[in-house]
Amino acid sequence: MKKILPVTNAVIAIISGSIVLLGYFFPGLFGGIQSVLIGWAIILAAFALLLGIFNLMMVHWKKIGSEGKGSIYSIVLLISLVLTMIIVSISGPAGSWSLWIFNTIQVPAEISLLAVLAFVLVYAAARLLTRRFKWYTILFLVTVLLVLLGSAPLFFVGEVGLLSSLRGWLAQVPAVAGARGLLLGVALGTVATGLRILIGIDRPYGG
Amino acid sequence: MEQALSSIGNFLGLLFILLCLGLILFYFFSDPTREKINLRSIEAFTHFRRQIDLAVEAGKRVHISLGRGNINDLQGGAALISLTILDHCARAASNSDRPPVTTSGDGVVTILSQDTLQTTYRDLAADQRYDPSNARLTGLTPLAYAAGAMPAIHDEYVTANILAGHFGTEVALLTEAGERSQSLTVAGTDSIPAQAVLYATVDEPLLGEELYAAGAYLGGGAVYTASIRMQDILRWVLIAAIGIGAILKLLGILS
Repeated sequence: MKKILPVTNAVIAIISGSIVLLGYFFPGLFGGIQSVLIGWAIILAAFALLLGIFNLMMVHWKKIGSEGKGSIYSIVLLISLVLTMIIVSISGPAGSWSLWIFNTIQVPAEISLLAVLAFVLVYAAARLLTRRFKWYTILFLVTVLLVLLGSAPLFFVGEVGLLSSLRGWLAQVPAVAGARGLLLGVALGTVATGLRILIGIDRPYGG
Repeated sequence: MEQALSSIGNFLGLLFILLCLGLILFYFFSDPTREKINLRSIEAFTHFRRQIDLAVEAGKRVHISLGRGNINDLQGGAALISLTILDHCARAASNSDRPPVTTSGDGVVTILSQDTLQTTYRDLAADQRYDPSNARLTGLTPLAYAAGAMPAIHDEYVTANILAGHFGTEVALLTEAGERSQSLTVAGTDSIPAQAVLYATVDEPLLGEELYAAGAYLGGGAVYTASIRMQDILRWVLIAAIGIGAILKLLGILS
């Protein structure tokens, strides 16, 4: 059984993957079965999400049991999770209580983190000078500064036409060229990864 | 006319996929020196392998962040390569007193990471080391995911972090947590804005296709080397196509 199961997993994965791929190229022939398989994948993903949330609960339950530092946060998380699940189950995902939780707790907490993120990025940019003091680091930081200055009207001065044009050129020409180069590499890497899984050499599914 | 163009597009797409597959299989089966090709040095992988060894010796932990990519989506490639990295890391750190811990922001990737850990330990005849709580879902929105993963970096004796998968700019919070806990952070992603952030925040960023070369650099075997060769050949083909296209456009032949 221990040997049969991985082989069965691999065969199912290879056949399903091939049909879904062929469905993109021959929609008339494989489109129907492709839609069915994708539908199944979406249902499985929803169950996986539930299992993931259960896993999150278990991890924090264990943390409370270990009474280590930060276990108070695990208690808060578990209570919040259970309360939210109860309230959303009763009120519905778009109900007034659910929206109240979303708008008064989740959104402000995430916006606070976003503000911290802005400071982290500024600090990281400054630290970059001590970490990698090279000509391309200076070029990177000067470009960042120019784009920032050209993105919004300046205090007392208003919008500076030259900076705005320079920002536009930087964003449209060198940045797009560089991004496309990176994306080509990412696309080739993604194709290679997908093909390795499709031919069953890479098996991230217990195969 | 539109249908004909769509058919040609489909045919070219299929041809491209078959070409990629043919090249991978060709290099995998035919080249006897396939495992001996010279890979250019990528410092991130060299340092990370060393750091895993140090973590094993010091009885510390490696943290692998798999991102929040969904495998049903375009971000699936990065999510799947992160599972390959997890497999290699789990094998390399299997002797450590503290097994690797993984965090992710997607239910499917969490299940797959648990499965990868379990399969790896089973292969190494160390089933008892598998603990499902070492592969965690930490949050479902970008910032919730980052906020949930940060305590894993701070509080769990982590000495090295590898952030591999799909991230947004929130990845800076994770790299900052790594910096504060004085652990090495190696990071790569498929997202362009996140790559810009990683360039500024990490000592060892993996840019562009470097993330996808992880299997070959971490000693995955011949098929990963074959994949890299395929990518190298097709990259030159694409560069030539772009160059020819630019020249034709300059000459006014292409509208």
